[in-house]
Amino acid sequence: MTAITAPRPGAQGVLGPALRAVGTEAGKGLALMWRRRAITITGIALNGLLYLMIQFFIGGGHLVLPVLALTLPALIAYIVAATAALQGSGGIAEEVNAGTLEQVHLSPARPSLLAAGRLAALAAEGLIPAIVLALAFGLGYRPHWAISPDALVPLALTIADALGYGLLMTALTLRLASIGAVVHVFNMAVMFLGGLFVPITLFPHGIEIFARFVPTALGVEVLNTTLAGRGLAAAWADGTLPWLLAHVAVLAALGWLAYLHTLRRARREGGLSAR
Amino acid sequence: MAYAINFNVMNPGRERSPVAPLADVAIGLTGVTKRYQRGKGLLTAVSEVTLSVPPGQVIGLLGPNGAGKTTTIKMICGLVLPTAGTITLNGYDVARQRAGAVRQIGAVLEGSRNVYWPLSAWQNLMYFGRLKGLRAVAIRPRAERLLTELGLWERRHESVGSFSRGMQQKVAIAAALITDPPVLLLDEPTIGLDVAAARTVKDWIARLAADEGKTVLLTTHQLGVAQELASRIAVIRDGKIIADLPTGELLSRYAEDRFEIRTRKIPNGLRPGVLPAGGRIEHGAEATRILLPGAGQADLYRVLDGLRAAGSQLISVSQARPGLEDIFLRLIRDGEEGPGAVRATAAERVA
Ligand SMILES: Nc1ncnc2c1ncn2[C@@H]1O[C@H](COP(=O)(O)OP(=O)(O)OP(=O)(O)O)[C@@H](O)[C@H]1O
Ligand SMILES: [Mg+2]
Repeated sequence: MTAITAPRPGAQGVLGPALRAVGTEAGKGLALMWRRRAITITGIALNGLLYLMIQFFIGGGHLVLPVLALTLPALIAYIVAATAALQGSGGIAEEVNAGTLEQVHLSPARPSLLAAGRLAALAAEGLIPAIVLALAFGLGYRPHWAISPDALVPLALTIADALGYGLLMTALTLRLASIGAVVHVFNMAVMFLGGLFVPITLFPHGIEIFARFVPTALGVEVLNTTLAGRGLAAAWADGTLPWLLAHVAVLAALGWLAYLHTLRRARREGGLSAR
Repeated sequence: MAYAINFNVMNPGRERSPVAPLADVAIGLTGVTKRYQRGKGLLTAVSEVTLSVPPGQVIGLLGPNGAGKTTTIKMICGLVLPTAGTITLNGYDVARQRAGAVRQIGAVLEGSRNVYWPLSAWQNLMYFGRLKGLRAVAIRPRAERLLTELGLWERRHESVGSFSRGMQQKVAIAAALITDPPVLLLDEPTIGLDVAAARTVKDWIARLAADEGKTVLLTTHQLGVAQELASRIAVIRDGKIIADLPTGELLSRYAEDRFEIRTRKIPNGLRPGVLPAGGRIEHGAEATRILLPGAGQADLYRVLDGLRAAGSQLISVSQARPGLEDIFLRLIRDGEEGPGAVRATAAERVA
C-alpha cells in the first residue's frame, strides 16, 4: 500500500494543473448544458418572442427601430444575467441534492479554481443564447448602431456585471431555502428596470436613479452611448462609465467572495449536501 | 495505535509508504469531536473519537440512526470540519494538507447520487478522474477496466439516470475508484440494492481489499454486510465509540452457548429462584422467550420444571449463538459494557 503523493510544486508547474481544474469544471458545465439543450433552445425562442411582443406593444403595433436599437443591448444583458442566475442557482441546488457538490470538493484543486470553472460554464450558457438573439435581431432588423471598438468596453463590463449577479445568486442558494423565489424577483427587476422595455433614460428621474443599481442597467446605458456613436469619453463625462466601473467592481467582488465564503462555511458544517 | 502494531505483526510483508510519515496508519482519528449548531445550542454529533485503521484493513462502523457515522466519514473526507481533534490519511493531515489528504481517498456518500445522472457513465469517470488531477490518457484505460469489470461497458455512453439503482451505485463506486486511491470510504454502500446487486457490490469491496490492499471504512445498517466484509467492527452510539474489536473477537466474546426456551403465556408466573443468574424473560405477542446465557443442563431442567409447574405450554427449546445483530442490539440498548470492556486491551491485541 502506498500513499498517493501530493504533487511537488514546481515539478510540473502550477499553471498547468490550475488551468486543467478550471477547464474540467467548465467542461462539465457545458456537458450538462448540452444534455438540457432542449431547454436552452426553448428559452431562446421564448425570450425572442417575448421581446418582439413587448416591442410591438410599445410601438403601438409597430416595431420602432430606434427603440429596438436602444433596447436590444438590454435584451442581451438580461439573457446573460438571468441565465447565469437561474442556471447558477438551479445548478448548485441540484448538485447539493444529488450529492455531487461534495464529490466535486473531494478534488485536490482549490475551491476558487473550481468556482472559476463553474463561472466560465455559466458565462457560456448565458452568452450562447444572447449571441443567437443578438444576431437574429441585429441581422434581421439592422438597427442603426455605430459599432466601434469603444463598445467592447461596456460590453465586457456588462457581462461581468451580469456574471457577478449570477454568482451572487448562486452563493445565496447555499444559504436560502427560498432562493427560487428570490432569483425570480431579481430577474424580473433586471427585465423591467434594466432597459428591456424602454431605455432607462426615459424613466421618471427617481426610477432612473433606482434602476441604475439594478444589475446590467448601467452597462446597457453606457453601451447605448457608444452604439449611438458617442465615444467612451462621453460616457465618462456624463458619469455613467465611472459608476458602471464601480458597480461591476462591487457586484463582481461581492458575488465572488460570497460564493467562496458560503462554500467554505458549508464545508465546515456539512452543508454541501442535503440531509 | 496498538491495533496497528498488531496488524503489522500479522502482516510483516506489508509495504510501507515512502512518503507519508505515518503510513502505518491509513486512517487516523485522534480525539475527533464535532458539534453542530442546533438552534441556539450545540449538538454533539461525534465525541472524542480516536480510531486508527492500518493499511489494508476493512473496518465496519456500525451504529443506530444519528449515531454520528456519516459525520465521521465526512470529517475524514474534509467535507465537515471537526470542532476538535485531528484526522490523518496516510500521514496527511486533512485540515492542513487537504490536497494530499483527498488524493488518498475515494468516497461513496450516503443517500446521494454521488455522480451526475444526466451524464453518461463514461463522462462521469472521465470528469472525476480529471477533477482529481489525472490526465485523460491515464484515466481511459482505468475507466475501461472498471466499467468492464462492473458489466457496464456496453452501456457506458448512456446517461446514468437511465440505469437501475444497482448500476448507478456501481458507477458511483467506480467514480470513487477512478484514481486508484488507497483508502475507500463507503457510507452505506449497499443501501437500496436488491440481493443480486448488493452481492456484486459486496464481492467487489471484498476483492478490492483482498487483492488490491485497499483500506476500507464502511458504514451499514445491514449487519450481515459488516460481518461478511469487515475484519474489524467499531460500534458508535451518541457519537462515542462503544466497542472496537476484530469481528471474530466481537462475535466470540458473546458467543457463549445459551439456551432459548419459547413458551406460550406463563399463566401462574415462575417461582422465584427458578431463573438462573443472567436469565431473562422477554414477552412477545405470540410467544414468551426465556433466554439462559451460559446456563448448564441442570439450570435448563430446573427452568423447564418450573414452567411445567406454572402451567405453561412449551413451544421449543433451542441452543442459540448470538449473531452480530444480537450483540449489536445489546451494545446499543444497554451499553452496559463500557468502552474499556469492549475494546481489546493493548496487551490482548499484541498477544
Ligand atoms: N449538517 C448538519 N447540521 C446539523 N446537525 C447535523 C448535521 N449533520 C448531522 N447532524 C446531526 O448529527 C447527528 C449525527 O448524524 P449522522 O448523519 O452523522 O448520523 P448517522 O450515524 O450517519 O445516522 P444514519 O444511520 O441515520 O445515517 C444527528 O443528530 C444529526 O441530526
Ligand atoms: Mg448516515
